[in-house]
Amino acid sequence: MTDVAPARVLLVEDNPQDLELTLRALRRAGLGADVHVARDGVEALDFVLGPGGGSGAAPARRLQLILLDLKLPKCDGLEVISRLKSDPRTRAIPIVVLTSSREASDVARSYQLGANSYVVKPVEYDRFSNAVAQAGLYWLSVNQPPGLE
Amino acid sequence: MKTADNRQATLQLKDALKELGDLKAALDEHAIVAITDPQGKIRYANDKFCAISKYSREELIGRDHRIINSSHHPKEFIRNLWATIGQGKVWHGEIKNRAKDGSFYWVDTTIVPFLDGEGRPRQYVAIRADITERKRAEDEVRNLNAALEQRVVERTAQLESANRELEAFSYTVSHDLRAPLRAIDGFSEAVIEDFGPLLPDEGKRYLRTIRAGAQRMGALVDDLLTFSRLSRQPVQKSQVDMGQLVRDALEELGDAQKNRRIDLRVGDLLPCLGDASLLKLVWINLLSNAVKFTGKREVAIIEIGCSAGRHATHYYVRDNGIGFDMRHAEKLFGVFQRLHRMEDYEGTGVGLAIVDRIVQRHGGRGWAEAVEGQGATFHFTVEGGAAS
Repeated sequence: MTDVAPARVLLVEDNPQDLELTLRALRRAGLGADVHVARDGVEALDFVLGPGGGSGAAPARRLQLILLDLKLPKCDGLEVISRLKSDPRTRAIPIVVLTSSREASDVARSYQLGANSYVVKPVEYDRFSNAVAQAGLYWLSVNQPPGLE
Repeated sequence: MKTADNRQATLQLKDALKELGDLKAALDEHAIVAITDPQGKIRYANDKFCAISKYSREELIGRDHRIINSSHHPKEFIRNLWATIGQGKVWHGEIKNRAKDGSFYWVDTTIVPFLDGEGRPRQYVAIRADITERKRAEDEVRNLNAALEQRVVERTAQLESANRELEAFSYTVSHDLRAPLRAIDGFSEAVIEDFGPLLPDEGKRYLRTIRAGAQRMGALVDDLLTFSRLSRQPVQKSQVDMGQLVRDALEELGDAQKNRRIDLRVGDLLPCLGDASLLKLVWINLLSNAVKFTGKREVAIIEIGCSAGRHATHYYVRDNGIGFDMRHAEKLFGVFQRLHRMEDYEGTGVGLAIVDRIVQRHGGRGWAEAVEGQGATFHFTVEGGAAS
């Protein structure tokens, strides 16, 4: 990683248009510099845990928020939630599901696996950008994460 | 005296024999009768036995019952029969036999053993009734049932697979169809925000039109999904306070009533048995319609009421809005049916179809009456009334 400032937000999104719109909303909320992007579930897990899931002892990346789409190539969003929430190193990282799916089964499954929040992406951009900005600002400036002095 | 006694005894004997003869004649009319010796050799066969077995009496006498054995019954069955009558007990059961011409017949059989002075079987009397027709009917019923069950299994599997396909389809629609709409809407907005000053007003108006189109399609997709989900989602019935549902629905419609003068007249609403979340959707749709279509009235009057029926409870929403031409009443509850121009009254045209589907799933029906320009009344019923 060549980041100068370590990323505080991981955005996992495969759709390039949704990605651009989400980044735009984060930028406008003043959170643009903090974001790292992963384009599928495997890339997301590699980024958080280190390549190949990392060794159990290696510290995982410190993140304050993961914005996660559900329908992803290689390894889907539910699998990502399940992996990160069952690993003691990453369990405390807030995961906000940001998806087009309003299927009751997806909502239920996400919470069951330990997601912290579930946001259905609205079609209207104003509402979409509001939702992203609110989630970002809440978890980055209102919420008190563990172990950060 | 002695001769008188003798004569008396002879007369009694005659009477007894006559009685016995009558009984035998009656029995022969009704039943298949055979008598065998302790070894099972046939010593007597009546006409009915000959008729059903298609053997002559001469062919039967002296033979044992293996002559009509159909091989249908397991050895165990035959052993049990002989063990029972060998012990002097009556055996009762159904036996399949084979006639001389190879055809099969079924007999309901009672075999009564008669014992000698030392308790050993002296002879067996078998009385049988032809039950071939009943057995055939039973077989037929059994086969029909099996075929029916098989068909139910097949149909259920077909339905389940159709349902799974529909679910996969809805999932795709909900997920993949909304993403491009978000892009159309989002990037149009981005152009307005970032390059607004470079655009002439007409250009900005076009972009706003593009956004409106994308948002409208988003609403259509959402309504269609709600509609398709209604048929799959199980109806969870409980006692529902319809008055409370109406208050909840009105609260959700709060925004639509802003800056409006609405005279709301809510009568006492009977409770009913239904799915609260689905019935709330009915009220939301009917009430938002009433609010929408009274938009051009100085004061909107919306009346909500109900009446008890024997088998169903009837509810209605009446308004003094623009109404509609009764010639189109039939179309009203179809998906995407609109009776008014988009510019005048917005909406996806799915609302009443949703109402109709929900009401149907509650064993009721929905209908409407109106006078164009004067108002409309929308009715629906929910199964279960005073009689239940």
